[in-house]
Amino acid sequence: MEISHGSYNQKKFALPVDSEHKATEFRLFSAAAPHMRAFHLSWISFFACFVSTFAAPPLLPIIRDNLDLTATDIGNAGIAAVSGAVFARIAMGTACDLFGPRLASATLTLLTAPAVYCTSIADSPISFLLVRFFTGFSLATFVSTQFWMSSLFSGRVVGTANGVAGGWGNLGGGATQLIMPLVFDLIQNIGATKFTAWRIAFFIPALFQTLSAYGIFFLGQDLPDGNYSELHKSGEKHKDNFAQVFHHAVTNYRGWILALTYGYCFGVELTIDNIIAQYFYDRFNPGGGMLSDFMAKRFGMRGRLWTLWVVQTLGGVFCIILGQVGSLGVSVAVMLVFSVFVQAACGLTFGVVPFVSRRSLGIISGMTGGGGNVGAVLTQVIFFRGSRYSTETGLTLMGVMMICCTLLITLIYFPQWGGMFCGPSSKGKTTEEDYYMSEWSSSEREKGFHRASLKFSENSRSERGRKIGSAATPIDGTPNTYV
Amino acid sequence: MAINRFLFASVFVCCLVATCDGIVSFNSLKPTLTVTATHKGGVLKAGVDNVTVTWMLDPSVPAGTDSSYKTIKVKLCYAPVSQVDRGWRKTKDDLSKDKTCSHKIVAKPYVAGGAVATATWTVQRDVPTAKYFVRAYAHDAADMEVAYGQTTSADKKTNLFDIEAVTGRHVSLDIASVCFSAFSVVSLFGFFFLERRKTKIAEAK
Repeated sequence: MEISHGSYNQKKFALPVDSEHKATEFRLFSAAAPHMRAFHLSWISFFACFVSTFAAPPLLPIIRDNLDLTATDIGNAGIAAVSGAVFARIAMGTACDLFGPRLASATLTLLTAPAVYCTSIADSPISFLLVRFFTGFSLATFVSTQFWMSSLFSGRVVGTANGVAGGWGNLGGGATQLIMPLVFDLIQNIGATKFTAWRIAFFIPALFQTLSAYGIFFLGQDLPDGNYSELHKSGEKHKDNFAQVFHHAVTNYRGWILALTYGYCFGVELTIDNIIAQYFYDRFNPGGGMLSDFMAKRFGMRGRLWTLWVVQTLGGVFCIILGQVGSLGVSVAVMLVFSVFVQAACGLTFGVVPFVSRRSLGIISGMTGGGGNVGAVLTQVIFFRGSRYSTETGLTLMGVMMICCTLLITLIYFPQWGGMFCGPSSKGKTTEEDYYMSEWSSSEREKGFHRASLKFSENSRSERGRKIGSAATPIDGTPNTYV
Repeated sequence: MAINRFLFASVFVCCLVATCDGIVSFNSLKPTLTVTATHKGGVLKAGVDNVTVTWMLDPSVPAGTDSSYKTIKVKLCYAPVSQVDRGWRKTKDDLSKDKTCSHKIVAKPYVAGGAVATATWTVQRDVPTAKYFVRAYAHDAADMEVAYGQTTSADKKTNLFDIEAVTGRHVSLDIASVCFSAFSVVSLFGFFFLERRKTKIAEAK
């Protein structure tokens, strides 16, 4: 029985998989269902959302004349564009936990597309702010992208999958700086006047977003074994309860720490994009995710935590330097180095997030993602609004704040793997199973709701690192279906 | 050694040249032109209404003042109230950096002799909604500003006129936006319906 089950397993998937059917390899040039196909669908739709959210800035010189905007109106609209996503990201996390990333992201993408279409009919500063605010909600697809990758790829490659998907999606913010002016020029050449041409131009990102949502709905799949709705009905996946999922998310202190520290890498990125002249560059360096997986192989979770702390702190140091240098050439060079570290820190953060909680992965991802946007709003409001601080002083202070907030990572501790300064706990409940099972009550366990978390616990043993992980671990009393 | 001294000297000379080159200060210009602008009254509509501009040398200036004038460039300029909180329209004394007068009305060669020159201009479709006045600059043969005249007082508070921009919106665009938006939302409900039907079929099997 088990042998035939095993060979059936081998035939079913194009990529090698583990006991949860999560892919253990990441093959960029494959589009095989369900793993790599979901990867491509999710990064493309996230890219489309970034293109829509940041489509207005490159056309602002024309829009500000058409709508009679002041500098304050423009600044407020920019803050609105990133603040909408704060709560949207947390809500998205919840929706992923309950309905699955496929439906959650297709829904959000389709519901925010009207905001992009309606940008064409904006006629005042208020309507402009509103369309940017609602369009910004689409940035919550970041959470569904990370959740989806965490559901389909095993611990060995989850950092890479998260990093590349997030990174390529983020490229949309840079690509739009080139795409929108080109589309605008094209439409002007066809014969439209300036004030009409920019309106028509917005249909392009809107259509792209709509089509990507269709792609996700028809071609995507939540989990390797099927979609949430099918698995709920067949009983293979327990349809979880919102109150329980929410409770386990907000009571896990690690989620809060990562939310705050993510505000000081991704939030800083968004801030820099708004205040420094925008030019095309790779934003969310996949190197961070790959580095996280590489460190995890040798040093486990402790390696991931140390690397995250070091890289993000160095980002803060370079931010301070950026605020101090005087010449243009040197400051461009410092900014490039700074952005490499900040981007890598974002990737490294999402190398840790999938392990904080199994039951409430969505909300934890949402909180962390939302924390990024909170960081952007806070930083812009404190340091880059009005004339209290010059831009250079603002940058230096932002760097100091980054270093201080990043110190919180030293407080993150996993009993089964340790933290930055302490090894794994030697007393009592200290296995991966104990950590992930603690999210389920005994009555829930009797009903078998915890089975998915159990499989995840086994697979997460790789976070112990090479030296300890190689020792044979006694098989738990709970029966599992794979030898 | 000789190379070093040569390099130093050439850099030094270049710096000197740079300081001589082209920084015209607005405050150094004299208002020797008399400029008027007439229009239909009320708020002018971009793309529709006209402004008739006239300019001539102020009769009270000494003779020979206009010897260097070669071209007159007439421009539409923002009034201070329309520059508030809009750094991209800021007035700067260095004319190469000044953004007050960003819209060209007309450029004509200067005709000496004190005659009044006129031009009629239809307000262009990319002019934003704001309060304006008209200013004419006299340029010399090197295309540097040497004098000016404007329709308003020195503090730019009198004799301003309003222009209303085109909205850029069209009925067809409005309809397209609403239709596509509605279609997105409707197709979402279509997805939910399809999803429910799929699970019902799977259940029935």
